Amino acid sequence: MLSEKALAERFGEVVLPHLGDALVLARWLTGNAADAEDVVQEACVKAHAGIARYAGGNARAWLLTIVRNTAYTWMSRNRSRGIMAVGDLGDLDEMAAAHGPSLLDENGPEASLIARADTAALEAAIAALPQPFRETLVLRDINGLTYREISAMLGVAMGTVMSRLARARSLLMSELGSAP
Amino acid sequence: MSDDGLPNDAEGIRLMIHALVDGELDAAAALAVERRIAADPALAAEHARIVALQAAVGRLPRPDVSDAFRARIAALGATGTAHSAQDEALEPQWGKPSTRPDQIEADQVHATARRGTRPSQMRTLPRAHRFGSFDWRALAASIVVTAVLASGATQWMMFDSASDGFAAAVASGHRRSLLAASPIDIVSSDRHTVKPWLDARIGVSPPAPDLAQDGYALIGGRVEVIADRPVPALVYRHREHLITLVAEPQQGGGTAAPDDLSSGGFSLVHWSDGAFSYWAISDMERPELDDFVARFRKAAV
Repeated sequence: MLSEKALAERFGEVVLPHLGDALVLARWLTGNAADAEDVVQEACVKAHAGIARYAGGNARAWLLTIVRNTAYTWMSRNRSRGIMAVGDLGDLDEMAAAHGPSLLDENGPEASLIARADTAALEAAIAALPQPFRETLVLRDINGLTYREISAMLGVAMGTVMSRLARARSLLMSELGSAP
Repeated sequence: MSDDGLPNDAEGIRLMIHALVDGELDAAAALAVERRIAADPALAAEHARIVALQAAVGRLPRPDVSDAFRARIAALGATGTAHSAQDEALEPQWGKPSTRPDQIEADQVHATARRGTRPSQMRTLPRAHRFGSFDWRALAASIVVTAVLASGATQWMMFDSASDGFAAAVASGHRRSLLAASPIDIVSSDRHTVKPWLDARIGVSPPAPDLAQDGYALIGGRVEVIADRPVPALVYRHREHLITLVAEPQQGGGTAAPDDLSSGGFSLVHWSDGAFSYWAISDMERPELDDFVARFRKAAV
């Protein structure tokens, strides 16, 4: 059993360096920065309680898993169910597979148009993504987790992570490409 | 179709392009996908779109970690008694209704939040002064120092230059990386993959010369958080040794010749070239690390 002092040290090494990542994930899951601080603070209380069970490995992924779970409990507690509607995930993945652009869009927007997209338009497009697509995109492109880490965190197959990510990006591309 | 082991359906190859951009492919698969891209303008356009999108997402502003917020979280770690009643904290809780809120021990910080005061509003409270009675930096530093002392591995705090804290953090990051499942976040021997990855992540990337011919193979990179800022780190391998090269961007800084900061089992060399301030750390012998530093400096010009 680790001493309390050792646990406190571990908290300092495992949690504190990743607060920025924790906040940005919570910001995209909850939709705003103020709620994100509440969620991350609550997640850190849980992380502190569970620090003895942290078994090494990627500390950032460990903390982000707690942040994600906390965000969903937090939202179910603080928001009406209407806002929280996420639908059936299985259906969503099927829908993505059925309606996904299985053929390459020959007329997709120019890369340069995407590169020039302004911040507000891009943030709005991400916020408008269905939640499973949004969280996968954020975990990969903003938090920088690997497919394997995301798959473990979400409890879905790696192929599902890949198709959600591809779907999320393709929705963003067409949104940015069609912007005036 | 070509017999390169890649999926031949459009959806499959599309996923492979995403995986390539994400640095998820091994060298053989990456090569095969790159060949497909080179041979097909439609794939090339998709690849360019994905790269552009990822860069744009990576440039989005991130929320600030305010000093006050960090101090509150650091205080959690310092309060000692770990709560034990929250085993469910680590379980997935999709849409599950609230777990009894009173289960969460109402420490003072939390009680404040529960009353409806947002942390953001608490920023108006008097901030911890940098050198005041409560200083999270001192707290964080003492945590690092204690950990280092306890491990008996290193005694970085013995440096007396202004960069002590930075050197300690570099050492700490290197040690942590050796303990982690993977010492690198982006696995690639291709600097044309590592640099854009770092650029997209934190908007800056140091020179990343390929020194494989000199016996120092670039194996990837990661982002270190030092002194509250993300800084790029490259990872090279020399035989069985890993070398972490942290490159702190400088603004109008001067150049400095390599300076030996080695201590207690690790070799650490620091130098500056005006654009970056470099910290190379490894468990190699000092002369070997010096050789790496010399080759890197020559190649990075």
